[in-house]
Amino acid sequence: MRSRILATALAAALGATVAGCGGDGSGGKDTAPLDAGTKVSITVGCMPAKSQAAQRREWLEDVAAFEKLHPNITIDGKDAFPCIDPNTFQAKLAGGQMEDVYYVYFTDVRGVIANGQAADITPYVGQSKQYPSVDPAVEKVFKDGGKVYGLPRQNYSMGLFYSRPLFKKAGLDPDRPPTTWAEVREAAKKISALGDGTVGYAEFSAKNQGGWHFTTSVYSQGGDMVTADGKKSAFNGPQGRAVLQNLKDMRWTDDSMGSKQLLVDADVQRMMAAGKLGMYLGAPDNATALVDQFKGRYEDYGMAPIPGSTGTLMGGDGYLFSPKASPEKIKAGLMWLDYAMLTPGQGQLNYARAAKDGRPVGIPQPKLFGQNAMGEKDRQLRADSANLPVANFKPYEDAYAKVPGKLEPPQAQQLYTILDSVVQAVLTRRDANIDQLLADAQKKADAALARSGS
Amino acid sequence: MTTARTLVRPAAHARRHPTRARRAVKRNLTAYGFLCGALICFAFFSWYPIVREVLLSFQKTNFVGEARWVGLDNFRTVLADPGFVDAWVNTAEFTLLALVVGYVVPFAIAIVLNELKHARAYLRFVVYLPVMLPPAVAVLLFKWFYDPGPGLFNQMLHAVHLPGLSWLDSTSTALVSLVIVSTWMNLGSGTLIYLAALQTIPGELYEAAELDGAGLFRRIRHITIPQTRLILLVMLLLQIIATMQVFIEPYLLTGGGPEGSTVTVAYLMYQYAFNFTNFGGGGALGLMLMLVLMVFSAIYLRVSREEAR
Amino acid sequence: MAETRTLVSPHTLGTRRGKAVYWTTLVSIVVVFTFVFVFPLYWMVTGAMKSPDELADVPPDVFPHHLDLSGYREAWRQLDLGLYLRNTLVYAVGAWLFTMGVDVTAAYALSKLRPMFGRAVLGLMLATLMVPPMVILLPAYLTVKDLPLLHLNLLNTPWAIWLPAAANAFNIFLLKRFFDSIPTELLQAAEVDGASPARILWSVVLPVSRPILGVVSIFTIVNVWRDFVWPLLVLPDSHRKTISVAISSLAVQVPQNVLIGSLVIASVPTIVVFFVFQRHIMAGLTAGGLKG
Repeated sequence: MRSRILATALAAALGATVAGCGGDGSGGKDTAPLDAGTKVSITVGCMPAKSQAAQRREWLEDVAAFEKLHPNITIDGKDAFPCIDPNTFQAKLAGGQMEDVYYVYFTDVRGVIANGQAADITPYVGQSKQYPSVDPAVEKVFKDGGKVYGLPRQNYSMGLFYSRPLFKKAGLDPDRPPTTWAEVREAAKKISALGDGTVGYAEFSAKNQGGWHFTTSVYSQGGDMVTADGKKSAFNGPQGRAVLQNLKDMRWTDDSMGSKQLLVDADVQRMMAAGKLGMYLGAPDNATALVDQFKGRYEDYGMAPIPGSTGTLMGGDGYLFSPKASPEKIKAGLMWLDYAMLTPGQGQLNYARAAKDGRPVGIPQPKLFGQNAMGEKDRQLRADSANLPVANFKPYEDAYAKVPGKLEPPQAQQLYTILDSVVQAVLTRRDANIDQLLADAQKKADAALARSGS
Repeated sequence: MTTARTLVRPAAHARRHPTRARRAVKRNLTAYGFLCGALICFAFFSWYPIVREVLLSFQKTNFVGEARWVGLDNFRTVLADPGFVDAWVNTAEFTLLALVVGYVVPFAIAIVLNELKHARAYLRFVVYLPVMLPPAVAVLLFKWFYDPGPGLFNQMLHAVHLPGLSWLDSTSTALVSLVIVSTWMNLGSGTLIYLAALQTIPGELYEAAELDGAGLFRRIRHITIPQTRLILLVMLLLQIIATMQVFIEPYLLTGGGPEGSTVTVAYLMYQYAFNFTNFGGGGALGLMLMLVLMVFSAIYLRVSREEAR
Repeated sequence: MAETRTLVSPHTLGTRRGKAVYWTTLVSIVVVFTFVFVFPLYWMVTGAMKSPDELADVPPDVFPHHLDLSGYREAWRQLDLGLYLRNTLVYAVGAWLFTMGVDVTAAYALSKLRPMFGRAVLGLMLATLMVPPMVILLPAYLTVKDLPLLHLNLLNTPWAIWLPAAANAFNIFLLKRFFDSIPTELLQAAEVDGASPARILWSVVLPVSRPILGVVSIFTIVNVWRDFVWPLLVLPDSHRKTISVAISSLAVQVPQNVLIGSLVIASVPTIVVFFVFQRHIMAGLTAGGLKG
């Protein structure tokens, strides 16, 4: 009799899973637009969670408007906060748990494509009217060997994020942020001299974020992570050494980086919002997180281009398609992304509505379109509705086009794990030997790159 | 194991029914009817995964096509990983440290508690309290305590004019910090088990020893410890088995850092599978860990069975 | 119950010196234990009442400046803790029902019906005790993801918690051992009255087995509540997470006082269970295959 319960249970589970599965992905090559008579329902990741009330309301408005335009399409948003938990993202992928249109960081795109976990959307991408306007440098992230796999949602380049009140307090000019690493070091020293647990400059060093920021810093010094063919690592050079030496000097000689290390973004944001941190490397949307999650104030933050300005890391996020998604679903997904993510004045780019909803407008992000008419329109609309002290981000925005943005290396997560260790060593051991650390990391990285083979 | 009489057989025996065979069939059918839920659950979630673990370590799986047999490749990959030896060393070190603190201390506490005639309920309650916290809560709580700035521990050290420590931020203290959390949240169960064992020691033994002029420590050595020998052994094995699987502490506190000093075998296995999408490598690590732990488990089962007698 | 004699004789305790030593020990033990095991919890509960600024204060204050519950409120609202508590409750109760249904019947069959190969089945079940759950994490995960033969994907469904929880050899061992100790005469009498084995289990065996059922129940529920890595993997959908997994991934995204508030809220249910079932839990601890 218990077994009957079990059987019923299994049958129920069977029903649930079968219902949850989509089409079988027959991968046709049709370029015809989605027939208005075909009913399609798609699941889409990264719908704003309940705790983000305004964004969620806007998303639901967008869905309603979109479904009115296309009565045959149903958008089933899956909310999550944060949209990616890096710890479990791979598990979710491996488990085949991604939505039809699922959300990714740029960091993971290459690996996901290489593992065959994303659908090739090349035949259908022509149906995205906005696609041609997308900055080719950004779209490159979603391409592999001429094939297209996804569309971006956000794009940014990293810069120097800083606390204006602490700059003032330390006798620095908040309108003239440091432009070189030497100036950063000086400023950090002055800020940490304020005492009371104030930290001048903070750097990530855990959960692969140390490697990620190391990469950014190496780019800022004009260096590279891997060779042009992607087969060997390239960070063990003067630039990599300069990055680490600078951290080491700030941490141990100046003691301007605080004592708590193994930090991740949320820790650093928490310090910033509490007014205990002077500077860190970050993207403009950090301001949103600082205000929404950590109760900071917009007017307290400013942004400068990355120190050195020789290069910076381009990051962001976007959407890929489940390999199981049918052509109809892919087409519907592209239409949705066009509507909600990539059209100035609509969806996430509807600045007037965001301002009306009391959300901040004016952060120089996302940078989706490059220097074309669409990009111009986007910038114009944003400027028109801006409700933030935009001037605080001006140094960053002015330099945006001048600082070359570089993408993340191949095997990014593995390299980041390796480099996490290196950054940790420099920040936690006074006697860390930089040359030795880099040489060891190079060996490991080369092995990891060779193993991946491609 | 046990030889209790069965429910049906004696009755059948007594009456000598001609339908004995049919009744036996019926009895077996009923029994397996009762058993089938458990058989299904075990088959799917215990037996098959154990077999699969072995298979997995010889396969390459990428979730799109079929799994491929790759012989010893996964083992080669894992063995070539410079983190492999470190992970085993860290795990062994963690286990040993946890034993030094987590094994001796609860026994000592239990001995003292057993002598107290007051506040017993309170003390037992309190010592077991951390065990009832979800481990994730305990670990995140300690993460806050370990903050070298305003964290509780360094503030307490400062309060008695001692220099603060780096706790999780130094290769020399990170692993110990993990052991401290782990011990804090697990100490209670060991203590209470020892306490129960101590209460079964006949008082006459102590009396006799005392008449022989044995002092306090000699009584502990010659009576308390021998009388609880089996439990001590069982707990030793259980603790080794539990601590060798340590995962949540490095996962939530350090992410394996600094410099890989807190990467344990279980954590490395998880990383292989879910950060590097290499289930084969993870499987190989899992198999090695399984073989090592099975040795301890086998001893444990033997000992605990002997103990149950 | 009369006190049995322990390590130190009552006579020694009766002397003046003995008394002094006894009371000093008692007081210092009470103080140390309170400090080591209760103070951290006090620090947690009051930490959530401090503002982020206050939390960054060096040296910290032992008492929060004012009784501010916004940390708790924010934790509840921002992290949607109600949802995760409810999820965890559903997983725990389901796991309990399955464990009861599956393990009790199995133990009964093995103990009293004694089918052919019963000993072999029991042996195979007990053998799984030699394989700790962590080492079969990956294959178990892959199995749940694609159940062999049936090709069901149980990820993100409560079944992924409920069914594996029932495959618990230790429960079966405890239950069987208890059932073994039930006198056969009791069951024979019922059988003579024409009761079916199911009926005997229900109206004879279960009523006398209350203590062991209580132990198994509490431990099943508490284990689901405490489990971390398994639900982390098999319930990746943010709506289905357990409270432990949810706070570990969400709480880092909020201010310090809200994080601490969420820790307090997450620990309330198990602490309450402990308050209520204290005696059962402590008795259950020692039932664990150590002393019958």
